[in-house]
Amino acid sequence: MASLRNGKAWLLGILLVAGLVVPILVEDTYLRHLFIISFVYGIVAASWDLTLGYAGIFNFAHIAFFGVGIYATALAAKLLGIDPWIAMLIGGIAASAAAAIVALPIVRLQGVYVVLVTFAFSQLVFQLVISQSQVTGGTNGIVRIPTLSMPGHNFLRDYKLGYYYVAFALLVAATVCLRLLVRSDFGLSIKALRDNEDYGVSRGIPIARQRLKALVASAFFTGVAGGFYVIYLRVASPEIFDFSTASLVLSMVLVGGTSSIYGPIVAALVLTFISEGLANINNFAEGRFMLVSVAMIVVLLFFPKGLASVLPAALARRHEKRDRESRNWKGTRVVPNDQKNGTALPPISLDRST
Amino acid sequence: MTADMLSAILVSGIVLGSGYALMASGLSLVWSTLGIFNFAHGVLMTLGAYVAWTVSNAAGLDLGLAAGAALAVAALIGAGILLERMVVRPFYGHRDILLISVMTTLAAMIFLQKGIQLLWGARLKQLAPILPGNVPLWRTTISAQEALIMVVAPLLLGALWLFLRRSRIGRGIRAVGQNPDSARLIGIDVSRLFIITFALSAVLAGLTGVLLGSVRLLTPEFGADPLVKALIIVIFGGLGSLGGTIAAAYLMGIVEAALTFYVGIYWTPSMIFLLLIVVLLFRPQGLSGKVVR
Repeated sequence: MASLRNGKAWLLGILLVAGLVVPILVEDTYLRHLFIISFVYGIVAASWDLTLGYAGIFNFAHIAFFGVGIYATALAAKLLGIDPWIAMLIGGIAASAAAAIVALPIVRLQGVYVVLVTFAFSQLVFQLVISQSQVTGGTNGIVRIPTLSMPGHNFLRDYKLGYYYVAFALLVAATVCLRLLVRSDFGLSIKALRDNEDYGVSRGIPIARQRLKALVASAFFTGVAGGFYVIYLRVASPEIFDFSTASLVLSMVLVGGTSSIYGPIVAALVLTFISEGLANINNFAEGRFMLVSVAMIVVLLFFPKGLASVLPAALARRHEKRDRESRNWKGTRVVPNDQKNGTALPPISLDRST
Repeated sequence: MTADMLSAILVSGIVLGSGYALMASGLSLVWSTLGIFNFAHGVLMTLGAYVAWTVSNAAGLDLGLAAGAALAVAALIGAGILLERMVVRPFYGHRDILLISVMTTLAAMIFLQKGIQLLWGARLKQLAPILPGNVPLWRTTISAQEALIMVVAPLLLGALWLFLRRSRIGRGIRAVGQNPDSARLIGIDVSRLFIITFALSAVLAGLTGVLLGSVRLLTPEFGADPLVKALIIVIFGGLGSLGGTIAAAYLMGIVEAALTFYVGIYWTPSMIFLLLIVVLLFRPQGLSGKVVR
């Protein structure tokens, strides 16, 4: 087990170095662009996993938080003339504030009601953006948003090198924070609430406060990612609120596996490259979403813990087999709930008889 | 408030509410029987309208609206059965079926919506109205098609109510909704009723699409807005109670008409959402619903 954990540290180190070296090896601007976009999606998917996978909150407003970050940053940078670096931070704060508003009703709600309220909220944000066209540009969006600036470096004429490193730094920072969060006492408590809410509450975990914190934290990184996304693309478009964006990022979370921060990030990298590659095929810009949705259903059917878990699961099975042979295993091992049932999503009672 | 304003608000509210009631009752039916929430409900409505358009429109097969509606119903029975088979059935008995079915029906919705866009293109379409002309009604005037919606929706809902109360299959559906295990014990074929329920709800969505397709313009996103309204309605009405859902639909239609009149069309969605939050803070189970866990 110890060797496995060491191996993981090595792997992370290699990935970190690889991430730093990529732009030196890859000089093609379009490929760099794909990396930048996939890093943004990686942050959004991984932080969605904090609420959906770890806290077990059926949060379907995550893309709306992303959109709030995008529009808050765009408006702050363009209309108020705030420096884009700070505007990105404002995007994060605005997204957190939006999450706090949504949390107000949903910390007290259960199951399907959480889904409904968060869905309704994301539609509300979309309609607000469309209707307040004198501020948000309506369906035309906001264009010509100021770019990042740094003394001695021109972000527009470096073949996206600067943006690549900013995106990578954001991804690493978000990953480190999310990992620290889920491994802290706070992370333990939200997992406890997900696996057995009544028991967690009876042991003194303040359920409403923990859920609120989880939502606000996951929205913050998403908002900053949205802020970076809009500063990078220089266009804020309401298309981001489309259901297909939500399903693309959701498929990243599912393919990568819920309750794992790294899984969705890896899935975001792979799926962004695949889906952008497909978008270049003639007239397939819309059709690729059909493939994404089929992939979602297939993953849910056959790999409920995510594709990324297939390899570790196979390894674990081999370990288990060896354990059993050597220790004459009796089958009384305590397995965490999420591993036992092949999924890490919260339990729901289907009893509707009362 | 003058009587003219009151009548304008009430009449347009009831027209809106009729469409919402048809949409939301299908959602509520599937919820109370299968215990899942079908996000593809809105796109089924779109599908019904597009099939009817293709059959009836001069640019399509030009067979008249009756044939269009009939084929739309047939197509939706098929779509409902397929949908239940492919994205819901594999997960029965799974402890996370609620969350999983939200995701699979969402995926099905994207699939169908993009499929419709590929098949029919993004150009706006409109069904010919079933009844042309205008109808004067209590100090205001509405189009004959809107009057038709006002009449047909209660008829359809009444038929649904009778079906659920009187027919053998309908009573079976209600029994499964109350307790699937006992229903199976007394010899009810639960999985067949699941399919029937899904097909029935799909047909309700499709008929809503055919009715609204001549009042609004058809786009691949045609069903998205009614779906969101239906979501809000089932929260207000409390899931699982058909009566509560229908009452909430009409109430919502009138509230929306009044809000549109007083605060304008742009602020109406925000006000409705604010109202929703306030209601949920005091009654998390909805206005008439039971606690759902």
